Amino acid sequence: MGKVEEFVQAMGSKISDQKEKKGRFYFNVTNEDLREVVDYLFNTIGCRLSTATGMETFHHLEILYHFSDDTTGQYYCPRLLIADKEHPKVKSIAPIVTGAIWIEREIFEMLGVEFEDHPRMEKLLTLHHPKDLDKPLRMGRAS
Amino acid sequence: MNSNAVPIGPFHPLLEEAEYFELKVDGETVVDIDLEIGWMHRGHEFLSEMKTFTQSIYLVERICGICSTSHPIACVHAIEDIDNIEIPLRARYIRTLVGELERIHSHLLWLGLAGHFIGYDTLWMWAWKYREPILEMFEIISGNRNHYGMMRVGGVAKDVDPGSIPELMKHLDMVDKKMEMIAKAAKDDPVLRSRLKGVGVLSHADAIAYCATGPTSRASGVPGDVRKDEKMDAYDLVDFDRIVLQNGDVYDKLVVRVLEIIESTRICRQCLDKLAQIDGPILNNVKEISAGEGIGRYEAPRGEVFHYVRSDGTNRPIRHKVRAPSYVNIPTYAASCKGIPIADALITLAAVDPCYCCTERALHLYDKNHDPLQLDVLRLSREKTERIRREIYGNK
Repeated sequence: MGKVEEFVQAMGSKISDQKEKKGRFYFNVTNEDLREVVDYLFNTIGCRLSTATGMETFHHLEILYHFSDDTTGQYYCPRLLIADKEHPKVKSIAPIVTGAIWIEREIFEMLGVEFEDHPRMEKLLTLHHPKDLDKPLRMGRAS
Repeated sequence: MNSNAVPIGPFHPLLEEAEYFELKVDGETVVDIDLEIGWMHRGHEFLSEMKTFTQSIYLVERICGICSTSHPIACVHAIEDIDNIEIPLRARYIRTLVGELERIHSHLLWLGLAGHFIGYDTLWMWAWKYREPILEMFEIISGNRNHYGMMRVGGVAKDVDPGSIPELMKHLDMVDKKMEMIAKAAKDDPVLRSRLKGVGVLSHADAIAYCATGPTSRASGVPGDVRKDEKMDAYDLVDFDRIVLQNGDVYDKLVVRVLEIIESTRICRQCLDKLAQIDGPILNNVKEISAGEGIGRYEAPRGEVFHYVRSDGTNRPIRHKVRAPSYVNIPTYAASCKGIPIADALITLAAVDPCYCCTERALHLYDKNHDPLQLDVLRLSREKTERIRREIYGNK
């Protein structure tokens, strides 16, 4: 059994909408199950968090995590959809992956997503910007 | 705890890119470090969404002047990943050749800066002198010494002229000989070893926790190397070794880079040999990109460059995420700088290779009454090397 199949079996119903193509495995995860899935990827499989991509779509805010299994070149990409665009709030994975601290701060400032239990939830890139930029990556996205 | 703050940056002659570091010091010892980035945030991701896929490649080439081909390679990989686009064999070798030449010149640039920071100005001048033939090779291949404009979705923009291959080989031969000399000097020089061994250690566990990449993590025993792990371009067709050391200190980071230069020249030589033998197209005609998402990455000189592109089927990306290696390597300062003397802070910060340019370094140290004291960290670093040299060789 390959590592991806093992992962799917271990996670069971915690992951859904799985899409697999050469070396890439995308799937959806809920906010409740996020930390358990991330913990398995980081601590059991030994993946490295490359980064996370935040974006706004018509119906959701979306955070797509990119975990790389460097022993195989396989990417695991948990996708978290946030329906509440006005007050988006999700669990931080920084308590599990220290490398997520800056990544979550950037998503917070670009899209306004608040991460619960983050050690330092403040802007990363535009902290000293002459203009008080408010969620710049959400501007005009819905239209 | 009674500590003083030593601010470095955000705009400082030493920093090629504007960044702000605040060292909290207790006497001569660094007890904590705070980092602030974003001083030159240019909004590339948002800009890219207003460009066509082809224009995006030129845009991301301008993210970094030193590793200016790593971003375009990762970008075209991401776009090609959407439709599983194959590229011609000749283009695979050319991409690999250009990427490895960039690694050599970037590592030589860092080696020179590192030498200057610790008072080895001869090393600085050697390294930058031997970087010059690499830039000449870029000029022969692409017409440019920087920003080569070589990458395209489906292949490369320019072919390597077979008539220029003997000339390129001559340049490589010269760099090869000199690199053996520098590698020997780095391994045998007792002052260099004493100055850098055990300095600014990033432990194996911290390298994993911070998700560090490139020479920063490979010097700490984490073997990740995208060239080996993902086998893109011609990396599965050439023979080279993965350089991994264990101590995580500045010395191991230096040795990793020196040995990687030698491996890179091996790769370049194999690519040029192949390019002299094989013929064929360099670009597949890609007319459109389907709706979908793709991940592309490349092992830049500083570590993994990551690009994520999502397409809605038009000729522009609707989301283009870019993550450069320094973004994950710089936070490791929080682990590697604590407990070291101020004199070692400069070389520890530089060991990650966060795009520093080297002129002069003068910092302000504030005493307990918040009165500024002039403190030159570069001078402190060089004085420490001189002390070690005298301990070993006496006053010769």
